[in-house]
Amino acid sequence: MDKLEAIRTALGEVEEDQAIAAVKAAVAANVPATEILLACQQGVEEVGRRFELKQYFISELMMTGEILRQITDIVGPMLKTGDAVAGGKVVFGTVQGDIHNIGKDIVISMLRSANLDVVDLGIDVPPAKFVEALKESGATVLGLSGLLTLAYDSMKLTIEAVAAAGMREKVKIMIGGGTVNGDVCRKVGADDWGTDPVKAVRLAKQWTGGANA
Amino acid sequence: MPENKLELAKQRQELLRKAVNYEPVDRIPFTFLGPAYGPRSVGVPLSKFCLDADTAVNSTLDALDAMGDIEGINNMVSGYWPCLLSSLWLSKIAVPGIELPPDELWQVREEEVMKVEDYDLIINKGYEAFLGTIIPKVHKMDLFAKNNAWMAANLARTPQRYRERGYAILTSMNTTIPFEPFCGARSMEKFFFDCYRMPDKVKAAMDVALPFYINLGIAVTTATGVPGTWVGGWRAASAMVSPKIWDKLVYPYYYEMVQKFHEKGILCVLHFDQNWDRDIARFLDFPKGCVFSPDGATDIRRAKEILGDHMAFLGDVPASILAAGTPDDVYQYVRELIRDLGPRGLIMNSGCDMPYNTPKENAQAFVAATHEYGTYVKPPEAGR
Repeated sequence: MDKLEAIRTALGEVEEDQAIAAVKAAVAANVPATEILLACQQGVEEVGRRFELKQYFISELMMTGEILRQITDIVGPMLKTGDAVAGGKVVFGTVQGDIHNIGKDIVISMLRSANLDVVDLGIDVPPAKFVEALKESGATVLGLSGLLTLAYDSMKLTIEAVAAAGMREKVKIMIGGGTVNGDVCRKVGADDWGTDPVKAVRLAKQWTGGANA
Repeated sequence: MPENKLELAKQRQELLRKAVNYEPVDRIPFTFLGPAYGPRSVGVPLSKFCLDADTAVNSTLDALDAMGDIEGINNMVSGYWPCLLSSLWLSKIAVPGIELPPDELWQVREEEVMKVEDYDLIINKGYEAFLGTIIPKVHKMDLFAKNNAWMAANLARTPQRYRERGYAILTSMNTTIPFEPFCGARSMEKFFFDCYRMPDKVKAAMDVALPFYINLGIAVTTATGVPGTWVGGWRAASAMVSPKIWDKLVYPYYYEMVQKFHEKGILCVLHFDQNWDRDIARFLDFPKGCVFSPDGATDIRRAKEILGDHMAFLGDVPASILAAGTPDDVYQYVRELIRDLGPRGLIMNSGCDMPYNTPKENAQAFVAATHEYGTYVKPPEAGR
Protein backbone atom coordinates (compact mmCIF):
# COMPACT_ATOMS: atom_id res chain seq x y z
CA MET A 1 0.00 0.00 0.00
CA ASP A 2 1.14 3.54 -0.74
CA LYS A 3 2.62 5.17 2.37
CA LEU A 4 0.13 8.03 2.41
CA GLU A 5 -2.76 5.69 1.73
CA ALA A 6 -1.63 3.62 4.71
CA ILE A 7 -1.86 6.72 6.90
CA ARG A 8 -5.30 7.63 5.55
CA THR A 9 -6.61 4.11 6.06
CA ALA A 10 -5.20 3.63 9.55
CA LEU A 11 -6.60 6.97 10.72
CA GLY A 12 -9.95 6.31 9.07
CA GLU A 13 -10.06 2.97 10.90
CA VAL A 14 -8.88 4.66 14.16
CA GLU A 15 -6.05 2.13 14.46
CA GLU A 16 -3.54 3.87 16.71
CA ASP A 17 -0.52 1.57 16.35
CA GLN A 18 -0.92 1.22 12.60
CA ALA A 19 -1.36 4.96 12.10
CA ILE A 20 1.77 5.83 14.07
CA ALA A 21 3.76 3.11 12.30
CA ALA A 22 2.54 4.37 8.91
CA VAL A 23 3.59 7.95 9.74
CA LYS A 24 7.01 6.80 10.93
CA ALA A 25 7.44 4.80 7.72
CA ALA A 26 6.53 7.86 5.66
CA VAL A 27 8.96 10.02 7.61
CA ALA A 28 11.71 7.43 7.12
CA ALA A 29 10.99 7.48 3.39
CA ASN A 30 11.39 11.29 3.36
CA VAL A 31 7.77 11.98 2.45
CA PRO A 32 7.29 15.74 3.02
CA ALA A 33 5.59 16.69 6.27
CA THR A 34 2.89 18.66 4.44
CA GLU A 35 1.89 15.54 2.48
CA ILE A 36 1.75 13.45 5.65
CA LEU A 37 -0.46 16.03 7.33
CA LEU A 38 -2.71 16.22 4.30
CA ALA A 39 -3.14 12.43 4.41
CA CYS A 40 -3.98 12.74 8.11
CA GLN A 41 -6.57 15.39 7.35
CA GLN A 42 -8.16 13.08 4.78
CA GLY A 43 -8.17 10.24 7.31
CA VAL A 44 -9.90 12.49 9.83
CA GLU A 45 -12.48 13.47 7.23
CA GLU A 46 -13.27 9.77 6.87
CA VAL A 47 -13.71 9.54 10.65
CA GLY A 48 -16.11 12.50 10.49
CA ARG A 49 -18.03 10.89 7.64
CA ARG A 50 -18.47 7.66 9.56
CA PHE A 51 -19.51 9.63 12.66
CA GLU A 52 -22.27 11.29 10.67
CA LEU A 53 -23.36 7.90 9.38
CA LYS A 54 -23.56 6.74 13.03
CA GLN A 55 -20.88 4.13 12.40
CA TYR A 56 -18.52 5.94 14.77
CA PHE A 57 -19.21 7.49 18.15
CA ILE A 58 -17.58 9.94 20.58
CA SER A 59 -14.93 7.42 21.63
CA GLU A 60 -13.63 7.23 18.05
CA LEU A 61 -13.43 11.03 17.83
CA MET A 62 -11.46 11.20 21.06
CA MET A 63 -9.10 8.44 19.97
CA THR A 64 -8.60 10.15 16.61
CA GLY A 65 -7.63 13.33 18.42
CA GLU A 66 -5.12 11.39 20.50
CA ILE A 67 -3.58 9.74 17.42
CA LEU A 68 -3.29 13.13 15.73
CA ARG A 69 -1.57 14.58 18.78
CA GLN A 70 1.08 11.89 18.55
CA ILE A 71 1.47 12.37 14.81
CA THR A 72 1.90 16.12 15.29
CA ASP A 73 4.69 15.41 17.80
CA ILE A 74 6.45 13.33 15.15
CA VAL A 75 5.84 15.50 12.11
CA GLY A 76 5.66 18.98 13.65
CA PRO A 77 9.46 19.45 13.96
CA MET A 78 9.82 18.67 10.24
CA LEU A 79 7.59 21.57 9.18
CA LYS A 80 9.33 24.57 7.69
CA THR A 81 8.19 28.15 8.13
CA GLY A 82 5.28 28.76 5.79
CA ASP A 83 4.39 25.07 5.48
CA ALA A 84 1.36 25.29 7.71
CA VAL A 85 -1.46 27.26 6.15
CA ALA A 86 -4.38 27.47 8.52
CA GLY A 87 -7.88 27.38 7.05
CA GLY A 88 -9.33 30.11 9.26
CA LYS A 89 -9.35 31.36 12.83
CA VAL A 90 -11.73 30.28 15.57
CA VAL A 91 -12.00 31.43 19.18
CA PHE A 92 -13.43 28.73 21.43
CA GLY A 93 -14.21 28.32 25.11
CA THR A 94 -16.62 27.07 27.77
CA VAL A 95 -18.70 29.99 28.97
CA GLN A 96 -18.60 31.63 32.38
CA GLY A 97 -19.97 29.55 35.25
CA ASP A 98 -19.42 26.21 33.49
CA ILE A 99 -16.23 24.24 34.13
CA HIS A 100 -16.78 21.36 31.71
CA ASN A 101 -14.00 20.87 29.23
CA ILE A 102 -14.56 17.50 27.54
CA GLY A 103 -16.96 18.59 24.81
CA LYS A 104 -14.91 21.70 24.15
CA ASP A 105 -11.67 19.74 23.90
CA ILE A 106 -13.11 17.20 21.45
CA VAL A 107 -14.44 19.95 19.21
CA ILE A 108 -11.15 21.87 19.29
CA SER A 109 -9.23 18.71 18.46
CA MET A 110 -11.46 18.12 15.44
CA LEU A 111 -11.26 21.76 14.35
CA ARG A 112 -7.47 21.69 14.49
CA SER A 113 -7.36 18.42 12.58
CA ALA A 114 -9.41 20.19 9.92
CA ASN A 115 -6.60 22.74 9.62
CA LEU A 116 -8.34 25.52 11.50
CA ASP A 117 -6.37 27.83 13.80
CA VAL A 118 -8.10 27.65 17.19
CA VAL A 119 -7.60 29.93 20.19
CA ASP A 120 -8.63 27.80 23.20
CA LEU A 121 -9.70 30.05 26.06
CA GLY A 122 -10.40 27.17 28.44
CA ILE A 123 -13.33 26.91 30.82
CA ASP A 124 -15.39 29.37 32.88
CA VAL A 125 -14.54 32.16 30.43
CA PRO A 126 -16.07 35.61 31.08
CA PRO A 127 -17.61 37.51 28.14
CA ALA A 128 -14.89 40.17 28.12
CA LYS A 129 -12.22 37.52 27.59
CA PHE A 130 -13.99 36.21 24.50
CA VAL A 131 -14.22 39.75 23.12
CA GLU A 132 -10.57 40.40 23.83
CA ALA A 133 -9.51 37.17 22.11
CA LEU A 134 -11.62 37.96 19.04
CA LYS A 135 -9.98 41.37 18.80
CA GLU A 136 -6.45 40.06 19.25
CA SER A 137 -6.77 37.08 16.92
CA GLY A 138 -8.97 38.58 14.24
CA ALA A 139 -10.98 35.35 14.31
CA THR A 140 -14.27 35.37 12.42
CA VAL A 141 -15.77 32.36 14.19
CA LEU A 142 -16.65 32.07 17.88
CA GLY A 143 -17.55 28.76 19.53
CA LEU A 144 -19.30 28.79 22.90
CA SER A 145 -19.51 25.54 24.80
CA GLY A 146 -21.60 24.69 27.85
CA LEU A 147 -22.94 21.47 29.32
CA LEU A 148 -25.38 22.86 31.82
CA THR A 149 -28.53 24.92 31.40
CA LEU A 150 -26.83 27.62 33.45
CA ALA A 151 -24.66 28.17 30.38
CA TYR A 152 -27.57 29.69 28.44
CA ASP A 153 -27.40 33.01 30.28
CA SER A 154 -23.63 33.18 29.90
CA MET A 155 -23.87 32.42 26.18
CA LYS A 156 -26.40 35.23 25.79
CA LEU A 157 -24.26 37.68 27.78
CA THR A 158 -21.20 36.74 25.74
CA ILE A 159 -22.98 37.29 22.44
CA GLU A 160 -24.30 40.61 23.72
CA ALA A 161 -20.76 41.60 24.68
CA VAL A 162 -19.54 40.77 21.17
CA ALA A 163 -22.32 42.94 19.76
CA ALA A 164 -21.52 45.76 22.18
CA ALA A 165 -17.93 45.69 20.96
CA GLY A 166 -19.22 46.27 17.42
CA MET A 167 -18.04 42.86 16.17
CA ARG A 168 -21.25 40.91 15.80
CA GLU A 169 -21.57 41.42 12.05
CA LYS A 170 -18.03 40.17 11.44
CA VAL A 171 -18.16 37.16 13.74
CA LYS A 172 -20.25 34.03 13.24
CA ILE A 173 -21.17 32.35 16.51
CA MET A 174 -21.96 28.71 17.21
CA ILE A 175 -23.06 27.24 20.51
CA GLY A 176 -22.66 23.63 21.55
CA GLY A 177 -23.31 21.27 24.43
CA GLY A 178 -25.54 18.46 25.56
CA THR A 179 -28.66 20.53 26.21
CA VAL A 180 -28.61 23.14 23.44
CA ASN A 181 -31.10 23.12 20.59
CA GLY A 182 -32.60 25.47 18.02
CA ASP A 183 -34.72 27.29 20.58
CA VAL A 184 -31.76 27.92 22.84
CA CYS A 185 -29.78 29.09 19.80
CA ARG A 186 -32.42 31.68 18.95
CA LYS A 187 -32.81 32.81 22.53
CA VAL A 188 -29.13 33.44 23.11
CA GLY A 189 -28.72 35.05 19.69
CA ALA A 190 -26.22 32.61 18.12
CA ASP A 191 -26.02 31.85 14.41
CA ASP A 192 -26.11 28.07 14.71
CA TRP A 193 -25.81 25.24 17.20
CA GLY A 194 -24.75 21.63 17.49
CA THR A 195 -24.36 18.71 19.81
CA ASP A 196 -21.57 16.96 17.93
CA PRO A 197 -18.05 17.96 16.90
CA VAL A 198 -18.46 17.12 13.23
CA LYS A 199 -21.15 19.74 12.80
CA ALA A 200 -18.87 22.26 14.49
CA VAL A 201 -16.17 21.53 11.91
CA ARG A 202 -18.63 21.82 9.05
CA LEU A 203 -19.91 25.18 10.31
CA ALA A 204 -16.43 26.57 10.94
CA LYS A 205 -15.24 25.56 7.50
CA GLN A 206 -18.33 26.99 5.88
CA TRP A 207 -18.01 30.27 7.76
CA THR A 208 -14.31 30.64 7.08
CA GLY A 209 -14.69 29.82 3.40
CA GLY A 210 -13.01 26.42 3.61
CA ALA A 211 -14.10 23.06 2.25
CA ASN A 212 -17.75 22.00 2.56
CA ALA A 213 -18.81 25.63 2.22
CA MET B 1 -57.56 12.72 48.61
CA PRO B 2 -57.14 11.30 52.14
CA GLU B 3 -56.35 13.68 55.00
CA ASN B 4 -53.95 11.17 56.51
CA LYS B 5 -50.61 11.72 54.84
CA LEU B 6 -49.37 8.18 55.40
CA GLU B 7 -52.49 6.84 53.73
CA LEU B 8 -52.01 9.31 50.89
CA ALA B 9 -48.41 8.16 50.44
CA LYS B 10 -49.62 4.57 50.36
CA GLN B 11 -52.15 5.35 47.64
CA ARG B 12 -49.55 7.22 45.63
CA GLN B 13 -47.09 4.35 45.99
CA GLU B 14 -49.77 2.03 44.68
CA LEU B 15 -50.31 4.29 41.67
CA LEU B 16 -46.59 4.16 40.91
CA ARG B 17 -46.67 0.38 41.22
CA LYS B 18 -49.54 0.18 38.76
CA ALA B 19 -47.77 2.40 36.27
CA VAL B 20 -44.58 0.36 36.50
CA ASN B 21 -46.59 -2.82 35.91
CA TYR B 22 -48.74 -1.51 33.04
CA GLU B 23 -51.92 -1.78 35.05
CA PRO B 24 -54.75 0.68 34.34
CA VAL B 25 -54.38 4.01 36.17
CA ASP B 26 -56.84 6.78 36.86
CA ARG B 27 -54.10 9.29 36.28
CA ILE B 28 -50.53 9.29 35.11
CA PRO B 29 -48.31 9.65 38.15
CA PHE B 30 -45.78 12.45 38.41
CA THR B 31 -42.43 12.01 40.15
CA PHE B 32 -40.12 14.86 40.98
CA LEU B 33 -36.42 14.86 40.29
CA GLY B 34 -34.69 18.14 40.93
CA PRO B 35 -32.00 18.10 43.61
CA ALA B 36 -30.93 21.62 42.67
CA TYR B 37 -34.28 23.02 41.55
CA GLY B 38 -35.91 21.79 44.76
CA PRO B 39 -34.02 23.82 47.35
CA ARG B 40 -33.82 26.90 45.13
CA SER B 41 -37.57 26.83 44.55
CA VAL B 42 -38.14 27.18 48.30
CA GLY B 43 -35.42 29.76 48.90
CA VAL B 44 -32.69 27.49 50.25
CA PRO B 45 -29.20 28.21 48.86
CA LEU B 46 -27.46 25.26 47.21
CA SER B 47 -24.60 25.58 49.71
CA LYS B 48 -26.97 24.69 52.55
CA PHE B 49 -28.44 21.84 50.53
CA CYS B 50 -24.94 20.45 49.97
CA LEU B 51 -23.46 21.06 53.40
CA ASP B 52 -26.31 20.07 55.71
CA ALA B 53 -28.04 16.73 55.12
CA ASP B 54 -31.11 17.60 57.18
CA THR B 55 -31.58 20.78 55.19
CA ALA B 56 -31.25 18.71 52.00
CA VAL B 57 -34.09 16.43 53.02
CA ASN B 58 -36.28 19.19 54.48
CA SER B 59 -35.90 21.52 51.50
CA THR B 60 -36.68 18.64 49.13
CA LEU B 61 -39.85 17.90 51.08
CA ASP B 62 -40.82 21.59 50.97
CA ALA B 63 -40.15 21.59 47.22
CA LEU B 64 -42.39 18.55 46.76
CA ASP B 65 -45.15 20.47 48.55
CA ALA B 66 -44.52 23.49 46.35
CA MET B 67 -44.80 21.41 43.17
CA GLY B 68 -48.49 20.79 43.92
CA ASP B 69 -50.41 17.57 43.70
CA ILE B 70 -47.71 15.11 42.65
CA GLU B 71 -47.17 11.49 43.59
CA GLY B 72 -43.66 11.56 44.94
CA ILE B 73 -39.96 11.54 44.32
CA ASN B 74 -38.05 9.66 41.64
CA ASN B 75 -34.86 9.23 43.67
CA MET B 76 -34.94 9.87 47.40
CA VAL B 77 -32.64 12.68 48.51
CA SER B 78 -30.71 11.68 51.63
CA GLY B 79 -27.32 12.49 53.05
CA TYR B 80 -24.68 14.96 51.93
CA TRP B 81 -25.22 15.50 48.24
CA PRO B 82 -21.59 16.06 47.15
CA CYS B 83 -20.66 12.75 48.79
CA LEU B 84 -23.27 10.90 46.79
CA LEU B 85 -21.92 12.35 43.54
CA SER B 86 -18.27 11.74 44.41
CA SER B 87 -19.05 8.14 45.39
CA LEU B 88 -21.08 7.51 42.26
CA TRP B 89 -18.57 8.90 39.77
CA LEU B 90 -15.34 8.77 41.82
CA SER B 91 -14.83 12.38 40.81
CA LYS B 92 -14.11 15.56 42.66
CA ILE B 93 -17.08 17.87 42.94
CA ALA B 94 -16.86 21.66 43.06
CA VAL B 95 -19.30 22.51 45.85
CA PRO B 96 -21.31 25.72 46.36
CA GLY B 97 -20.24 27.35 49.58
CA ILE B 98 -16.75 25.87 49.28
CA GLU B 99 -15.20 26.30 45.84
CA LEU B 100 -18.23 28.00 44.31
CA PRO B 101 -20.46 30.91 45.39
CA PRO B 102 -23.27 29.82 47.75
CA ASP B 103 -26.01 29.53 45.18
CA GLU B 104 -24.14 28.25 42.13
CA LEU B 105 -24.69 24.75 40.83
CA TRP B 106 -22.23 22.02 41.87
CA GLN B 107 -20.09 20.69 39.03
CA VAL B 108 -17.83 17.72 38.37
CA ARG B 109 -14.12 18.52 38.23
CA GLU B 110 -12.61 16.39 35.49
CA GLU B 111 -9.30 15.18 36.88
CA GLU B 112 -7.23 12.02 36.65
CA VAL B 113 -7.26 10.66 40.19
CA MET B 114 -6.92 7.00 39.23
CA LYS B 115 -3.73 5.88 37.49
CA VAL B 116 -3.28 3.09 34.97
CA GLU B 117 -1.55 0.97 37.61
CA ASP B 118 -4.69 1.12 39.76
CA TYR B 119 -6.28 -1.46 37.47
CA ASP B 120 -3.65 -3.90 38.78
CA LEU B 121 -4.35 -2.81 42.35
CA ILE B 122 -8.03 -3.63 41.85
CA ILE B 123 -7.30 -6.96 40.17
CA ASN B 124 -4.69 -8.07 42.70
CA LYS B 125 -5.87 -6.54 45.99
CA GLY B 126 -9.61 -6.09 45.51
CA TYR B 127 -11.94 -3.16 44.98
CA GLU B 128 -12.10 -2.08 48.63
CA ALA B 129 -8.31 -1.73 48.65
CA PHE B 130 -8.56 0.57 45.66
CA LEU B 131 -11.38 2.59 47.23
CA GLY B 132 -9.24 3.05 50.31
CA THR B 133 -6.73 4.95 48.19
CA ILE B 134 -9.17 6.82 45.97
CA ILE B 135 -11.73 8.06 48.50
CA PRO B 136 -9.38 10.64 50.08
CA LYS B 137 -8.56 11.90 46.58
CA VAL B 138 -12.15 12.60 45.50
CA HIS B 139 -14.08 13.27 48.69
CA LYS B 140 -13.94 16.20 51.05
CA MET B 141 -13.10 13.99 54.01
CA ASP B 142 -14.84 16.11 56.64
CA LEU B 143 -18.07 15.87 54.64
CA PHE B 144 -17.43 12.20 53.99
CA ALA B 145 -17.22 11.53 57.74
CA LYS B 146 -20.37 13.57 58.37
CA ASN B 147 -22.16 11.72 55.62
CA ASN B 148 -21.25 8.32 57.03
CA ALA B 149 -22.46 9.35 60.48
CA TRP B 150 -25.67 10.87 59.10
CA MET B 151 -26.42 7.82 56.99
CA ALA B 152 -25.85 5.44 59.91
CA ALA B 153 -28.22 7.45 62.09
CA ASN B 154 -30.84 8.56 59.55
CA LEU B 155 -30.96 6.55 56.34
CA ALA B 156 -33.35 3.87 57.55
CA ARG B 157 -35.92 6.36 58.80
CA THR B 158 -35.65 8.85 55.92
CA PRO B 159 -38.32 7.20 53.74
CA GLN B 160 -40.79 7.66 56.57
CA ARG B 161 -40.13 11.41 56.49
CA TYR B 162 -41.28 11.46 52.89
CA ARG B 163 -44.30 9.29 53.61
CA GLU B 164 -45.31 11.45 56.57
CA ARG B 165 -45.55 14.32 54.10
CA GLY B 166 -47.67 12.19 51.78
CA TYR B 167 -45.10 11.23 49.17
CA ALA B 168 -44.26 7.97 47.47
CA ILE B 169 -40.68 7.00 46.67
CA LEU B 170 -39.71 5.25 43.46
CA THR B 171 -36.05 4.58 44.28
CA SER B 172 -33.86 5.03 47.34
CA MET B 173 -30.48 4.16 45.84
CA ASN B 174 -28.29 5.39 43.06
CA THR B 175 -25.81 2.95 41.63
CA THR B 176 -24.16 2.15 38.34
CA ILE B 177 -21.78 -0.18 36.55
CA PRO B 178 -17.99 0.10 36.97
CA PHE B 179 -17.62 1.88 33.61
CA GLU B 180 -18.94 5.11 35.17
CA PRO B 181 -16.75 5.39 38.29
CA PHE B 182 -13.72 4.21 36.33
CA CYS B 183 -14.40 6.87 33.72
CA GLY B 184 -14.83 9.53 36.38
CA ALA B 185 -11.70 8.54 38.26
CA ARG B 186 -9.42 8.12 35.26
CA SER B 187 -10.96 11.20 33.55
CA MET B 188 -12.99 10.59 30.44
CA GLU B 189 -10.32 10.98 27.79
CA LYS B 190 -7.77 8.76 29.51
CA PHE B 191 -10.36 6.13 30.33
CA PHE B 192 -11.57 5.96 26.74
CA PHE B 193 -7.96 5.52 25.61
CA ASP B 194 -7.62 2.68 28.15
CA CYS B 195 -10.68 1.03 26.62
CA TYR B 196 -8.88 0.97 23.27
CA ARG B 197 -5.39 0.19 24.50
CA MET B 198 -5.97 -2.31 27.32
CA PRO B 199 -9.57 -3.55 27.16
CA ASP B 200 -8.78 -6.91 28.76
CA LYS B 201 -7.19 -5.30 31.80
CA VAL B 202 -10.03 -2.81 32.17
CA LYS B 203 -12.48 -5.70 31.95
CA ALA B 204 -10.62 -7.72 34.57
CA ALA B 205 -10.80 -4.75 36.97
CA MET B 206 -14.49 -4.22 36.19
CA ASP B 207 -15.18 -7.87 36.98
CA VAL B 208 -13.72 -7.29 40.43
CA ALA B 209 -15.60 -4.01 40.96
CA LEU B 210 -19.09 -5.05 39.85
CA PRO B 211 -20.09 -7.05 42.96
CA PHE B 212 -19.29 -4.02 45.13
CA TYR B 213 -21.87 -1.89 43.31
CA ILE B 214 -24.47 -4.66 43.26
CA ASN B 215 -24.04 -5.41 46.96
CA LEU B 216 -24.19 -1.72 47.81
CA GLY B 217 -27.48 -1.41 45.95
CA ILE B 218 -28.91 -4.38 47.80
CA ALA B 219 -27.66 -3.10 51.17
CA VAL B 220 -29.08 0.41 50.79
CA THR B 221 -32.46 -0.66 49.44
CA THR B 222 -32.68 -3.20 52.25
CA ALA B 223 -31.83 -0.54 54.84
CA THR B 224 -34.40 1.94 53.50
CA GLY B 225 -37.07 -0.65 52.86
CA VAL B 226 -37.66 0.98 49.47
CA PRO B 227 -36.88 -1.75 46.94
CA GLY B 228 -35.98 0.46 44.00
CA THR B 229 -32.68 1.72 42.67
CA TRP B 230 -31.33 3.77 39.85
CA VAL B 231 -29.03 1.86 37.56
CA GLY B 232 -27.35 4.90 36.10
CA GLY B 233 -25.78 5.48 32.70
CA TRP B 234 -24.07 8.66 31.57
CA ARG B 235 -20.77 8.19 29.76
CA ALA B 236 -21.59 4.55 29.02
CA ALA B 237 -24.27 5.73 26.59
CA SER B 238 -24.41 4.27 23.10
CA ALA B 239 -23.63 7.67 21.57
CA MET B 240 -20.42 7.84 23.55
CA VAL B 241 -18.69 4.54 22.88
CA SER B 242 -18.12 2.26 19.92
CA PRO B 243 -20.08 -1.00 19.75
CA LYS B 244 -16.85 -2.93 20.34
CA ILE B 245 -16.33 -1.19 23.70
CA TRP B 246 -20.01 -1.18 24.61
CA ASP B 247 -20.40 -4.92 24.00
CA LYS B 248 -17.39 -5.76 26.15
CA LEU B 249 -17.30 -3.15 28.90
CA VAL B 250 -20.85 -1.79 29.22
CA TYR B 251 -23.67 -4.15 28.32
CA PRO B 252 -22.58 -7.31 30.20
CA TYR B 253 -22.33 -5.31 33.42
CA TYR B 254 -25.78 -3.76 33.10
CA TYR B 255 -27.15 -7.20 32.31
CA GLU B 256 -25.65 -8.82 35.37
CA MET B 257 -26.51 -5.92 37.67
CA VAL B 258 -30.14 -5.80 36.57
CA GLN B 259 -30.46 -9.59 36.85
CA LYS B 260 -29.12 -9.57 40.39
CA PHE B 261 -31.40 -6.74 41.50
CA HIS B 262 -34.36 -8.40 39.83
CA GLU B 263 -33.67 -11.66 41.68
CA LYS B 264 -33.81 -9.66 44.93
CA GLY B 265 -37.10 -8.01 43.98
CA ILE B 266 -35.49 -4.59 43.52
CA LEU B 267 -37.00 -2.32 40.87
CA CYS B 268 -34.38 -1.05 38.41
CA VAL B 269 -34.87 2.45 37.03
CA LEU B 270 -32.50 2.69 34.10
CA HIS B 271 -31.57 6.33 34.51
CA PHE B 272 -29.90 6.72 31.13
CA ASP B 273 -28.73 10.18 30.10
CA GLN B 274 -27.44 10.87 26.60
CA ASN B 275 -28.47 8.91 23.51
CA TRP B 276 -29.02 5.13 23.71
CA ASP B 277 -30.84 4.69 20.38
CA ARG B 278 -28.30 2.26 18.91
CA ASP B 279 -28.72 -0.33 21.63
CA ILE B 280 -32.34 -0.04 22.74
CA ALA B 281 -33.24 -3.53 21.51
CA ARG B 282 -30.59 -5.02 23.80
CA PHE B 283 -32.68 -4.03 26.80
CA LEU B 284 -35.23 -6.63 25.78
CA ASP B 285 -32.73 -9.10 27.27
CA PHE B 286 -33.32 -7.60 30.72
CA PRO B 287 -36.04 -9.13 32.87
CA LYS B 288 -39.45 -7.58 32.36
CA GLY B 289 -40.45 -4.91 34.83
CA CYS B 290 -37.66 -2.32 34.74
CA VAL B 291 -38.29 1.37 34.12
CA PHE B 292 -36.54 3.12 31.26
CA SER B 293 -35.69 6.72 32.12
CA PRO B 294 -34.07 8.70 29.30
CA ASP B 295 -33.23 12.41 29.42
CA GLY B 296 -34.72 13.63 26.15
CA ALA B 297 -31.69 12.71 24.01
CA THR B 298 -32.88 9.15 23.32
CA ASP B 299 -35.82 8.78 20.93
CA ILE B 300 -38.38 7.71 23.53
CA ARG B 301 -41.08 6.91 20.95
CA ARG B 302 -38.80 4.58 19.04
CA ALA B 303 -37.75 3.05 22.37
CA LYS B 304 -41.42 2.46 23.17
CA GLU B 305 -41.97 0.80 19.79
CA ILE B 306 -39.05 -1.54 20.40
CA LEU B 307 -39.52 -2.24 24.09
CA GLY B 308 -43.32 -2.25 24.14
CA ASP B 309 -44.57 -3.16 27.60
CA HIS B 310 -41.31 -4.91 28.51
CA MET B 311 -40.50 -1.93 30.69
CA ALA B 312 -42.31 1.19 31.86
CA PHE B 313 -41.13 4.68 30.91
CA LEU B 314 -40.21 7.73 32.89
CA GLY B 315 -40.64 10.51 30.41
CA ASP B 316 -38.62 12.72 29.73
CA VAL B 317 -39.29 16.48 29.45
CA PRO B 318 -35.91 17.83 28.32
CA ALA B 319 -33.87 20.23 30.41
CA SER B 320 -33.73 22.72 27.55
CA ILE B 321 -37.53 23.01 27.42
CA LEU B 322 -37.88 23.29 31.18
CA ALA B 323 -35.11 25.87 31.54
CA ALA B 324 -35.47 27.88 28.34
CA GLY B 325 -38.93 27.06 26.96
CA THR B 326 -42.28 28.64 27.70
CA PRO B 327 -45.17 27.10 29.66
CA ASP B 328 -46.80 26.44 26.28
CA ASP B 329 -43.72 24.49 25.17
CA VAL B 330 -43.92 22.39 28.32
CA TYR B 331 -47.65 21.82 27.84
CA GLN B 332 -47.15 20.70 24.26
CA TYR B 333 -44.33 18.29 25.13
CA VAL B 334 -46.32 16.71 27.96
CA ARG B 335 -49.49 16.43 25.86
CA GLU B 336 -47.67 14.69 23.01
CA LEU B 337 -45.77 12.42 25.36
CA ILE B 338 -48.95 11.23 27.06
CA ARG B 339 -50.63 10.83 23.67
CA ASP B 340 -47.77 8.75 22.30
CA LEU B 341 -46.69 6.74 25.35
CA GLY B 342 -49.62 6.71 27.76
CA PRO B 343 -51.84 5.94 29.42
CA ARG B 344 -50.30 2.78 30.85
CA GLY B 345 -46.69 2.22 31.74
CA LEU B 346 -45.85 5.93 31.89
CA ILE B 347 -44.67 8.05 34.80
CA MET B 348 -44.17 11.75 34.13
CA ASN B 349 -40.77 13.09 35.06
CA SER B 350 -38.21 15.57 33.83
CA GLY B 351 -35.54 14.16 31.51
CA CYS B 352 -32.83 13.73 34.16
CA ASP B 353 -32.99 16.52 36.76
CA MET B 354 -35.33 19.45 36.50
CA PRO B 355 -32.76 22.21 35.88
CA TYR B 356 -32.05 24.50 38.80
CA ASN B 357 -32.96 27.52 36.66
CA THR B 358 -36.38 26.21 35.58
CA PRO B 359 -38.82 29.13 35.82
CA LYS B 360 -41.54 28.46 38.38
CA GLU B 361 -44.27 28.90 35.73
CA ASN B 362 -42.70 26.08 33.69
CA ALA B 363 -42.65 23.78 36.72
CA GLN B 364 -46.31 24.62 37.36
CA ALA B 365 -47.18 24.00 33.69
CA PHE B 366 -45.41 20.65 33.89
CA VAL B 367 -47.63 19.42 36.72
CA ALA B 368 -50.80 21.05 35.37
CA ALA B 369 -50.33 19.56 31.89
CA THR B 370 -49.77 16.10 33.36
CA HIS B 371 -53.05 16.37 35.24
CA GLU B 372 -54.92 17.90 32.31
CA TYR B 373 -53.92 15.28 29.76
CA GLY B 374 -53.24 12.34 32.04
CA THR B 375 -56.33 12.11 34.25
CA TYR B 376 -59.03 9.59 33.42
CA VAL B 377 -62.55 9.32 34.78
CA LYS B 378 -62.37 5.60 34.14
CA PRO B 379 -58.97 3.94 33.95
CA PRO B 380 -58.40 3.24 30.24
CA GLU B 381 -58.31 -0.45 29.47
CA ALA B 382 -56.49 -0.09 26.22
CA GLY B 383 -52.87 0.81 26.44
CA ARG B 384 -50.32 1.03 23.73
